[in-house]
Amino acid sequence: MRGKSLFKTIFIIAIVSWALYALWPTYKMQSLSVEETEKLDEEGKLVSLRDRAIRMGLDLQGGMYLTYEVDLPQLIEQLARNKDDQLISILQQTREELNISSEDFLDILVRHFEEEGIPLSRYWGERGESDDKILSTLQNEAKEAMTRSLQKLRNRIDQFGVSEPSIQKVRDRRILIELPGVSNPDDAKALIGRTALLEFKLLKEPEIFSEVIDNIDKKLAKNRGVVSETDTAIAEELPEEVVEQKVSDDEVISVSELFGDEDVFTGETGEVDTSLLVDREIFEENPFIALFRDGRKEGKQVSVPIKNIKAVDRILEQEDIQQLIPTDAVFLWSLESFQLGDTECRELFLVNREAELTGKYLIDARVTIGSDVQSAGMPEVNFTLNRSGASIFSRVTGANLNKRLAITLDDRVVSAPNIQTKIPEGRGRITGISDMDEAQMLAIVLRVGALDAPIHIIEERTVGPSLGKDSISSGELSVTVGMALVILFMIVYYRMSGIIADIALILNLILLLAVLAQFGFVLTMPGVAGIVLTIGMAVDANVLVFERIREELKTGKTVRASIDAGYSRAFTAILDSNVTTIITAVILYQFGTGPVKGFAVTLSIGIAISMFTALVVTRVIFNHITSRRVLTKLSI
Amino acid sequence: MQFFKTLNLDYISNRRYAYAFSSALFLIIIISYIIRGGPNLSIDFKGGTSILIKFEQGITTQDIRNALIPIGLGNSEIKSIGSENEYLIYIGQQKDISVSETVQQVEEAIKASLVGISYEILKTDTVGPKIGQELRNAVIWAILLSLLLMLIYLGWRFEFVFAVGAIVALFHDVIVVVGAFIVLNYEISIKEIAAFLTIVGYSINDTIVIYDRIRENLKIYRNDNLETILNRSVNQCMNRTVNTALTVFLVVISLYILGGEVIKGFAFAMLIGVFEGVYSTVFVASPIVYEWQVRHGGKEQLKMAKRKIR
Repeated sequence: MRGKSLFKTIFIIAIVSWALYALWPTYKMQSLSVEETEKLDEEGKLVSLRDRAIRMGLDLQGGMYLTYEVDLPQLIEQLARNKDDQLISILQQTREELNISSEDFLDILVRHFEEEGIPLSRYWGERGESDDKILSTLQNEAKEAMTRSLQKLRNRIDQFGVSEPSIQKVRDRRILIELPGVSNPDDAKALIGRTALLEFKLLKEPEIFSEVIDNIDKKLAKNRGVVSETDTAIAEELPEEVVEQKVSDDEVISVSELFGDEDVFTGETGEVDTSLLVDREIFEENPFIALFRDGRKEGKQVSVPIKNIKAVDRILEQEDIQQLIPTDAVFLWSLESFQLGDTECRELFLVNREAELTGKYLIDARVTIGSDVQSAGMPEVNFTLNRSGASIFSRVTGANLNKRLAITLDDRVVSAPNIQTKIPEGRGRITGISDMDEAQMLAIVLRVGALDAPIHIIEERTVGPSLGKDSISSGELSVTVGMALVILFMIVYYRMSGIIADIALILNLILLLAVLAQFGFVLTMPGVAGIVLTIGMAVDANVLVFERIREELKTGKTVRASIDAGYSRAFTAILDSNVTTIITAVILYQFGTGPVKGFAVTLSIGIAISMFTALVVTRVIFNHITSRRVLTKLSI
Repeated sequence: MQFFKTLNLDYISNRRYAYAFSSALFLIIIISYIIRGGPNLSIDFKGGTSILIKFEQGITTQDIRNALIPIGLGNSEIKSIGSENEYLIYIGQQKDISVSETVQQVEEAIKASLVGISYEILKTDTVGPKIGQELRNAVIWAILLSLLLMLIYLGWRFEFVFAVGAIVALFHDVIVVVGAFIVLNYEISIKEIAAFLTIVGYSINDTIVIYDRIRENLKIYRNDNLETILNRSVNQCMNRTVNTALTVFLVVISLYILGGEVIKGFAFAMLIGVFEGVYSTVFVASPIVYEWQVRHGGKEQLKMAKRKIR
């Protein structure tokens, strides 16, 4: 055996051994039964085994994939001082342009400011600072807010307990989150998506609340008198109403009757005209109050059926109604809904606009089960404030005995307990959460902290576990069958040389999978397609060599010489053909999304490895054969 | 075993038949495009929400539609997929409902209407408008960049005349494969785009192998005319061309039949691509090289070729 051949042989054997070693965890994981998996999990060994096995993409594992966009406009708005209408309007324009352009938000904003001829220093930075300086400060703020939000999301997800989550920042404002194996997407989204701004706001006194409601009521009644009767012509234009079950005093009216105009809550398709439940007896005189239901026995001051919420919101947004609301107050809805009779309702509150305390002062939040009479058996979140928070809390509770303090989360009232005593230790409970899961999510977000700016979902994909399993088994089947077909073909067409090529092919597959496992590349369904294609294309190198060898044999060269010539002549063609495939694979990796990236990766690695297996490995085998004895014929 | 022991087909003389065939294909594609108003793009590009849902019992499309009407989504596309009670619901962009709530609302509506029938949501995809737009741009860039890089690579490896032939073949490839999807109205998602680009790579390398041989033969057979050399090169490579196409075909057909619904579109694109790759190499690339040389070339073989043509 020639020296070089010996070295190559040993090298090949070494590589194969490494490959088998690298693949062992994958094989093990696949072959574990459910009980065995759980046992390993308890022993703490499952994680390390999984880490060394081939990582599977969401389309094979099942799970959730979310792309969030950080609401930078909101953040920038929060940073501004002296907010006035002009700022609001510029920000609004910028937001709208942002929806259609992919230009950077701050760039658009600066451009608008320049067009209006207003310096940025009016709202941000120090007086007299140049636009450029303020712009760069804002950019830094934005970057830092992104980093902080990213960190907080990571913390939240960590505490949620997902295995191998992936959280990545993409470009300036986007966060990509992958949660493998998450079976309850709603919980995950509730955890991740909320800004989780906790605030403590005092309720306005009940008398003031009633007064405001009355004023609104009178104003609305007056408006309705002014507005013309609902046109029957308009009513005909509107498509079918969805008629609700009528309940004793209630009458179902259409939204257009209340507002007297046509562009009511029709969706994109213009189909459904939401109807409202109103108390018929008082509707004419008290159109606003008629939208409520009486929940005072349950301790709710103002309860509104879910159906009517949008209408109430719309009324409250009207300019003339806004003027009736005290400037230091704001209407907020309850977070949870409740049943009044057979109608699901939410409670409406009037609270101070300014918060006494925010979640920033929280240092801990834990879930417990309520033990006193009112909240027995219901989950609650116990929170602890830091020193300054505790002293503020003490002051506020001391000064507002027997008033109610609303605890709000992202502008929804979680609960509004009565302040019975001054609370000096900075501890409290948040009750009114119906669900244990909800409470746990709440505790997590409170512990981790609120996001600096809201985040919105712009892309969401979920794959159920059974689809993932199906894909895996289909993938395995097609790889196996495809492999078998090619192997068979090569034997039939090239006989013994075909067997040699097949050995190389099998090696190719093993090495490819080992590389995926060792370097942590993610295998997706298109990735499996890439493996399948690799099998079909890798063989091409051998085909090129063998066809050459056949030609050389025909010209009468010796077996050994033909083999030599075959390999050297075919080399450039092999290189060329693989280069073009790899070029497209690289482009696909650059421009493609997750699953397609997986395809590009497996195809590139597979083709690269095929250069090795098709050329080096088969050559070594041929050398072994021809060195034993001089062949006059070659089975090819 | 060998497919073609001695093959001596004349591709160049018969190239007009190939042109006619290609033209017919293009015509069909153009007509289909006009009739259909464009390709059938997947949710990745269009945006919206798609839900793949499987029911335990027999449900009709109408049942699902009836469930969706109360929430204003009765106009959604509902398709039956595969064989056993699997349905794909596609809902376009909704203004009032946020991206993430659509699935929730649909689920509640189905629970409310189809009481007691158990189901499993296999897969959901919700894509906001911006993402769709960005993906479209990315794909266009990817395709342009691929073609450009191929051109550069060819220009570096071969002379200009060869590059021309290859580029024409490339365009032919893209038009035929995308055209197949248009004619059959199959959905094009990012995965199928990946297949298209892979076919581009595969077809080019097929062409390069033959060009390699042509270049070699031009040096060896100095006295033959271009037509003869081209034909001979193609014939010599035919074994390898068919072989490689066959091995790829074998794996792709296995992927198509056994690989499951998710990857079917990709596999189908590859299937078309395999045949198209061979066709474009043999019947487009070489004849174009011939045509170009005849009209623009100035080599000795050319003069001989012209003499032969008459």
